[in-house]
Amino acid sequence: MKYENPQIPEGINVSQDHPLKNFLILLIGSIVLIVTLSIVLGVSGGWLAGKIPFSAENKIAAMYNVNEDVDDENVPELMIYLQDLTDQISKAQNLTDDMKITVHYINSDTVNAFATLGGHVFLFRGLLEKLPNENTLTMLLAHEIAHVKYRHPIKSLGSGILVGIAISTVTGSTNSDILGSAGLLSSLKFGRDMEQQSDEEAMMTLHAMYGHLNGGAELFNIFHTMRKAMDVDELSEIFSTHPHDENRIENFSRIAKNKGWQQTGSLTPLPDFFQQALKSEMSVLEED
Amino acid sequence: MYELIITLILISLGYFFGHRAEKKHYKSIIAREKVMNSLPAIASRMPPQDGAYDQMLVSGNVVIANDYFKMFVAGLRNLFGGQMRSYETLLDRARREAILRMKDEAKALGAQAVFNVKYETSNISGQTKKRMPVIEVHAYGTALTKI
Repeated sequence: MKYENPQIPEGINVSQDHPLKNFLILLIGSIVLIVTLSIVLGVSGGWLAGKIPFSAENKIAAMYNVNEDVDDENVPELMIYLQDLTDQISKAQNLTDDMKITVHYINSDTVNAFATLGGHVFLFRGLLEKLPNENTLTMLLAHEIAHVKYRHPIKSLGSGILVGIAISTVTGSTNSDILGSAGLLSSLKFGRDMEQQSDEEAMMTLHAMYGHLNGGAELFNIFHTMRKAMDVDELSEIFSTHPHDENRIENFSRIAKNKGWQQTGSLTPLPDFFQQALKSEMSVLEED
Repeated sequence: MYELIITLILISLGYFFGHRAEKKHYKSIIAREKVMNSLPAIASRMPPQDGAYDQMLVSGNVVIANDYFKMFVAGLRNLFGGQMRSYETLLDRARREAILRMKDEAKALGAQAVFNVKYETSNISGQTKKRMPVIEVHAYGTALTKI
């Protein structure tokens, strides 16, 4: 009997495919999978969250202490005025009685405002200072209130949570805090269609309250000037959630023309104490 | 963003060095196998019946670590299922290296053949959650030396 170990040809126990080919196929496959899954879960999460009654949304918002982070107490007169205007806008937008909008003020240079869960609307001093008249303020508030009206915060949270769960399941990391450490102050990301919907609702409100749209487009100009001054490149529109400022201004005129709404008219000035309160607030901040 | 860059660097480092090391290892394995084929390792439990032999236990042992590229590809493969091709070369190299080391031992003892050859393999990467697979392959058999 003969015993031998012949030289066995290579490539029987090992695949001859180039490892990079394998890698690329898997990588592209998993990216497609993740993107599809994110879109499907994002859309269905938003749809499901839209079914949550507003009272339940209020309970989620009540888990966070809003008053800790806002400076409403410093400017009582301003708050009464803002809340009064908010209530008028809520009425003009036909909000149901249980959908109560609470407006808040934050003493910060940030040029921004946002709406979040439970009908809380936050306005930053940086933006309020730049408002030239009441019409623009109404446009701003109406836009944020429209977000609440169409349930954008809870929809955005719902889709965010579903996508987050899917990602943490795949990657194995855990993140249980739904809103992050900033709580209600973390502004939720709204999609472009959501912004568009809110812009339109805000225009409708402006027309209902003043009979014309003058001052409304000024809001977009403020953001545009700010971004220019800060030299922030507006990301290519695909990646940005807010439509380009120019596009928003164009849209504004287009919708106004289609609906036959007047774009000129007399502007309502802001009350005297408005800018005074903000100025004294700024000095408080500087002393700190 | 930084995490992504670090991951990409690790993947390319893993691919570059892992691929180079693997090529080098295969070259060396094939060259040594050609020499060592003169000392056959047989899986049969029945020893040759043509005379009397001294019997001794011989073994070869090897530990091979994974590289980041292979681990990443295997992680992606885990999502879809299928053949985990990136680990095939790892195990193939380990088995052949273990046999070669076992034969080295047998040759040092002056053996003519190794019979009843068996493999053991175990994972020695520990219990941490994000462990890099490290495998041990152990080949052993009975070396026969003609009296």
